[in-house]
Amino acid sequence: MRLLIIEDDATIRESLAVEFADAGFGVEQAVDGREGLYYALEYPIDLAVIDLGLPEISGLDIIRELREKGKTYPILILTARDRWQDKVDGLSAGADDYVVKPFHFEEVNARVNALLRRSGGWASSILVAAPVKLDMSRQDVTVDDKAIELTSFEYKIIEYLMVRAGQVISKTELTERLYDQDFERDSNVIEVFIGRLRKKLDPENTINPIETLRGRGYRFALERSQSD
Amino acid sequence: MSSLSARLLVSVSVLLLFFFGATIVVLDTAFRKAGEQAREDILDGHLMQLLAAAEPDADGVLDLPPDLPEARFGNIGSGLYAELRDESSEIVWRSRSALGLDIPLGVIPEPGNLLFLEESLEDNTPLLTVSMAVQWEIADNELKSYVFKVAESLDSFNAQVAGFRRQLFSWFAAVALIMLLSISILMRRLLRPLRQIESEIGDIEEGRRASLSEAFPTELAGVARNMNLLIDSERARSERYRHTLDNLAHSLKTPLAALRALLREIVAQKDIAGRFDEQIDRMDEIVRYQLRKPAASVAGKLVLAPVAVAKEVGRLVDGLSKVYRDKNPVIDVDIADRIRFRGDIGDFLELAGNLLDNACKWCERRVRIRIVPAIIAGASAGGIEIVVSDDGPGIPGEAVDALLQRGMRLDESAPGHGIGLAIVKDIARSYGGDLTIQASDLGGAEVKVTIPPAPES
Repeated sequence: MRLLIIEDDATIRESLAVEFADAGFGVEQAVDGREGLYYALEYPIDLAVIDLGLPEISGLDIIRELREKGKTYPILILTARDRWQDKVDGLSAGADDYVVKPFHFEEVNARVNALLRRSGGWASSILVAAPVKLDMSRQDVTVDDKAIELTSFEYKIIEYLMVRAGQVISKTELTERLYDQDFERDSNVIEVFIGRLRKKLDPENTINPIETLRGRGYRFALERSQSD
Repeated sequence: MSSLSARLLVSVSVLLLFFFGATIVVLDTAFRKAGEQAREDILDGHLMQLLAAAEPDADGVLDLPPDLPEARFGNIGSGLYAELRDESSEIVWRSRSALGLDIPLGVIPEPGNLLFLEESLEDNTPLLTVSMAVQWEIADNELKSYVFKVAESLDSFNAQVAGFRRQLFSWFAAVALIMLLSISILMRRLLRPLRQIESEIGDIEEGRRASLSEAFPTELAGVARNMNLLIDSERARSERYRHTLDNLAHSLKTPLAALRALLREIVAQKDIAGRFDEQIDRMDEIVRYQLRKPAASVAGKLVLAPVAVAKEVGRLVDGLSKVYRDKNPVIDVDIADRIRFRGDIGDFLELAGNLLDNACKWCERRVRIRIVPAIIAGASAGGIEIVVSDDGPGIPGEAVDALLQRGMRLDESAPGHGIGLAIVKDIARSYGGDLTIQASDLGGAEVKVTIPPAPES
């Protein structure tokens, strides 16, 4: 998943970027409103974390502009202003949730994950498509309640596919969202990882969780179960 | 001109000057006109007498007898003079009274006509004259032209007019003086309450009294009441500031001391970050609580536009539905028609936002917000009641006090729990209202905030 962080305070921005990268996200950073709006409109991103008090263009204006231009990805507000008036303004402008400074990274991370899975239509952070179960907060995957050992990159792929269960995801999209920008983009690598994932999740080749649609991409094909 | 009474006195004086001036001019003119008319009539009478008394003498020259009926013609310098001139304007006869005087010739009128003129003697004594030209038949068919002229000195008349004028002036001056005097006395009486307000404000500034007294006339009672509100709110605000700053200073000292202590340990102990965090949270909560104190002062409420409650609640419900989308609570909104919150919009959002947020946080599935006019004994209409309930676990009675006390004892409390209710209570109190917590018919807690109507202005 690719995040955009728009925050003018370098300490907060960089610490968020490092923590999110460690948590397996691709991260874009913008230092002011103008740059932020540009990235938010032009880059392939899955979620934006936007500070409200930005130089150049305010966070509220960015959110309004993004929603006007038809960007539907979730937006999380960071704000030092804690009055309901500010929160309501942000939410009405088109944001989906807010975190008040000073925050714990765990809280921001939890909100981001919640927004991402909600945007895929999941109501809980445990995504279940029997027999596969993925716990976003613990970042683990089980099949028939047996834990599956995954590398972080494998986890990122299955999480991305499973959050969007039922949708066709192209190789390009996977590469864009899962690699950092300066990473070498080689779609063969994706194929290799998908192959490994299939073996780990479905060693007997009975449930076939990931479909390949020739020329179009991949799809997580198992039916979503009621998750809670 | 800063004094009201000075303004009034000057305006009234100018008005009186105009009014009395015009009256004096009108009366004076009328008096003079009437006097002049009377004078002319008298002169006319004298002239007719002379005409009747005139007889041609032996030489055929018109002459007048020495003893005329009007005695003043016989007394030298009496002020009433007469003369008779022939067609070459030579004096044929003149009254004894005109002895040594030179009555000006003036204009000779058309025969048979009377002509009144204002002329003057050589010594500038003003005269009113009447002259008449006649054709006198002396012998058979012999006509001779004569001019009769009667003049009267205007000295006495002028003196009379001047006397009248003097009297007029002195009466009017007396009346004006009495009027101005009574107006200034009236003004003093009328302005006494204003002066009292002024001196009372002075006393307040110098700390000799706490607020304005209540005993003012109806017109000023509102002003005095508002002044008192303003003074009270200013005082409350500065107290609140002092209090807030004191609180901040004191309550931040403990966590800072704790941090310092932790710093000393940091070298020895590795897993210290969590405890650092705890202190940072505590300080954050303190700052948050102190800075979210009510925005509107009592005086501010007099000038604030009322908040359209339904729209703001709608925004809050939309926003909270996003935030609590996983729980997806059903939020019933029941708002009386056209109800308004008379206060700061931020304060209202803080009240409703905190209550709704808490309810969404604790509910199983259902939240209800009801905003209706408050019925408060002894208060007029305009107050509102905000009731938020949920179907969550509710708040046990013994915890209520502790929850509401949080604001006051923040520096002693453990971090991590909401300070929303304490903030709501503070705001409600600042509007003269209150907050109560009880069990809801939905099964959880019901928090009721009552806000009385804004003080009447």
